[in-house]
Amino acid sequence: MVIESDIPQFAEWVGLAARNWLIALGCLAAIGVLFGFLVATLRHGPGSALRITVGVLRNALADIGGISPRRVLALARLAVKEAIRRRVVVAFAVFILVLLFAGWFLDPGSSDPARLYLGFVLTTTSYLVLLLVLFLSALSLPADITSRTLHTVVTKPVRSSEIVLGRMLGFTAMGTGLLVVMGLTSYVFVVRGLSHTHTLGDDDLAAVSQTAAEVGGKVTQTGQTSRVHSHRHKVTIEPSGYHEVDSANGHSHELQIDTSRGAPVYHLGPPQGALLARVPVYGKLRFRDREGADTEKGINVGDEWFYRSYIQGGSPASAIWTFTGITPERFPDGLPVEMSIGVFRTFKGNIEKGVFGSLSLRNPKTGLTVETEVFESREFETKEVYLPRQIKSFSSAQVIPRRLVTPSGEQTIPSPDQINPALAEKKQFDLYEDLVAEGEVEVWLRCLEPAQYFGAGQPDLYLRARDASFALNFAKGYLGIWLQMVLIVGFGVMFSTFLSGPVAMVATLGALVGGMFSGFLTDLAWGKVLGGGPIEALIRLVTQQNQITEMDPGLRTEAAQMLDRVLQYFLWAISAILPPFGEFNYADYVAYGFDISGDLMLVRLFSAAAYLLPVFLAGYFFLKTREVAR
Amino acid sequence: MHSSTTQTDSPPASTTQTEVVIETRNLTKVYRDFWGRQKVRALKALDLEIRRGEIFGLLGPNGSGKTTTIKLLLGLLFPTSGQALVFGREATDVTKNERIGYLPEESYLYRFLNAEETLDFYGRLFNMPSAIRRQRAADLIEMVGLTKTKRRQLKEYSKGMTRRIALAQALINDPELVVLDEPTTGLDPIGTREMKDLILRLRDEGKTILMCSHLLADVQDVCDRIGILYQGELKELGRVDSLLKVRDVTEIRTTTLSEAAKEEIQQVVRRHGGEVQFMGNPTTTLEELFLHIIRESEAHPGRRVRGGADSNGH
Repeated sequence: MVIESDIPQFAEWVGLAARNWLIALGCLAAIGVLFGFLVATLRHGPGSALRITVGVLRNALADIGGISPRRVLALARLAVKEAIRRRVVVAFAVFILVLLFAGWFLDPGSSDPARLYLGFVLTTTSYLVLLLVLFLSALSLPADITSRTLHTVVTKPVRSSEIVLGRMLGFTAMGTGLLVVMGLTSYVFVVRGLSHTHTLGDDDLAAVSQTAAEVGGKVTQTGQTSRVHSHRHKVTIEPSGYHEVDSANGHSHELQIDTSRGAPVYHLGPPQGALLARVPVYGKLRFRDREGADTEKGINVGDEWFYRSYIQGGSPASAIWTFTGITPERFPDGLPVEMSIGVFRTFKGNIEKGVFGSLSLRNPKTGLTVETEVFESREFETKEVYLPRQIKSFSSAQVIPRRLVTPSGEQTIPSPDQINPALAEKKQFDLYEDLVAEGEVEVWLRCLEPAQYFGAGQPDLYLRARDASFALNFAKGYLGIWLQMVLIVGFGVMFSTFLSGPVAMVATLGALVGGMFSGFLTDLAWGKVLGGGPIEALIRLVTQQNQITEMDPGLRTEAAQMLDRVLQYFLWAISAILPPFGEFNYADYVAYGFDISGDLMLVRLFSAAAYLLPVFLAGYFFLKTREVAR
Repeated sequence: MHSSTTQTDSPPASTTQTEVVIETRNLTKVYRDFWGRQKVRALKALDLEIRRGEIFGLLGPNGSGKTTTIKLLLGLLFPTSGQALVFGREATDVTKNERIGYLPEESYLYRFLNAEETLDFYGRLFNMPSAIRRQRAADLIEMVGLTKTKRRQLKEYSKGMTRRIALAQALINDPELVVLDEPTTGLDPIGTREMKDLILRLRDEGKTILMCSHLLADVQDVCDRIGILYQGELKELGRVDSLLKVRDVTEIRTTTLSEAAKEEIQQVVRRHGGEVQFMGNPTTTLEELFLHIIRESEAHPGRRVRGGADSNGH
């Protein structure tokens, strides 16, 4: 999986995020109060407007502080009943129908069936549930207002805050129930869909080499299992009884050999390793330039992508990950490294072959650097490399000091008088004795071919510490959909407090789509998109001008660019207000077999809550200031 | 009081001492369109006081501002100017609703709920213990005669049944003030009579009732005081009995008299300078006749009932 943004650390994130949130909330509240005051002034004059505004704010405190859980629950139950009696179950029936058809069309014999199946169920569930709650939440309150059923509710001692909260909770509860049922069904569907086994008979096995491998009359045998789901596994059975079933289509099987009845009978178990939740341990990335000095970033190869930075081949340039907390208890046998590296070629070369690179381990204290692994890399191919604890074979060992070039001068770590070249003269190195200092070790990636480049971002190389429970990860994936659902319910109910049903639905959909593209909106707002702002882009589109040429100087261009500058602030505000819906989707993590970290979950959970609170407050104010009987 | 209002009679001394439940001061409502342009002046400077224990009727043709007044008092609409106070609090204050029961013009209820669920839902919106809520819901269902159909969804109910469950939800909190918007529409004559009896019973229990209707007979039968609205203005306000008193006619009712006795009476009247406008058997109302036939049919099933007024000596 190619992760294209840094995975946030909750502890680092929360402080800054809370500050920004409070600023945004304060600004929005101030704008809201000012707007309310202006409207009241137009209607009743400034004196009454001030009294009304203060009254509304005082009432808001009472309405929010005086929320009664009993009434909210009663209203939430009503929303659930409404949803059920409006045949929400139909959505589940559609889901089952889709799964039944999918059973015919999803090919368990594809090269990565787990990804296919998981991607499918997660996408289907999210589309169905999100669409359903969009309809329910946006249409319910306007329907109550047009049918005037709300009149009998608001003439009871019910606060507007309770009506908004009740509905949000009710639809959330209903959607949660549906998601749980769909999640369980999906899990069974995936596990059953991928479940298979192969057969292996004596006829399938052949001796590798009778002369070389004969041990006490026995030989090493190799062969292939039967073809199921369009694949076979290569099986090797050594005379000692040790056997290996090769991985194919992302999984392997356990082999049991039963010799109790004389002739061996082979049993292959269910697929193993198809449904994974790898727990990556990420390091901190820095770079080393062509001259061997430390830099924050590598080279920008002119790619459209800014996130990944590149290192030049055949030079001291390296991408360096520093891992902390490396202890013998955690990694007793060595470091399991997985990476997917970007490869940028300045000449084609032999396109069939990858570009050579190397991995080295370096002690951050002593500077001892041991190049342990040379490999061939293709663009974003996931590579697994095991760096053993006892390093017996290595291509080079030397002491390389870290060079820091600062405006005040150059500094090296370790300092020149502490460099001990003798450290590199050993024939064999131990990971913990020689290379790890106080739990820290550096992994250096270098590109070995001159004029070719490797590109890397922080999550591109990690240690695969352990595997977490897949079922739990699957549930976390559904939690992502749940968060999206809660946000849609919030926005749907909020818009429905002042818009008619269909308009509220379109507005919610607009917020959803805008949120999906909030990254693009931000870029557009900061002028990072080629072709200028919206008006300039429109002119280019209509007059068929290309994006790069300068616009003709003149009044028209200046006017367009001036308007764009105003619009850009507007776009920036919109992109900052709308939740980035796409980021709440963890489907890729589950489908590609990566554990969704607790930090990521916490960050998303808190961001969703941060969006929901102002949405609830806005919904409350809109309903409170609305004449229900109009 | 607005200039156009003619106050015919003031409330009796007994009610002036009691608490004012509803008070409007210069209450005005102007409906505007999206651009703020005035569309309709639905209510013009209404001043009104309704006291505890009264049955107050708002009368007027369609579009005269009756329902607007009620919606303003319930906080469903906001006044353009003036004040609407209920139990001394602003009408937009939700806490006043603890003591109010409201029967809307049409039964705006959730059609996917059944009678029991409806009362349970509305009951939960009040601060009352669950045991009392359940007991009151059961009592009300029995009172409105829906015990047999309490498990059916409201969408299967007839108009009269919906009206009854709507009445039950208005009374779920045992309110001090009951607001009834067109309480008898959609009810058959028996239902209408039951509704009127209920309104009187509620008054006897010390509750205040504000009702609006354009069915004059209903208002005449139950209301203590009425206000007549026309095009948003209060045109008349006072006690029903004094408003309806015809001051230049004297009516005498006796048991059936012989022709000679009638002649003699006419002579007496003429001697005193009066003129007999009518003398004979009065006719009853169709409502009375209908109710008599139904009562007789229930008492003696299978027998054909003879004309009500003739047979019982009216």
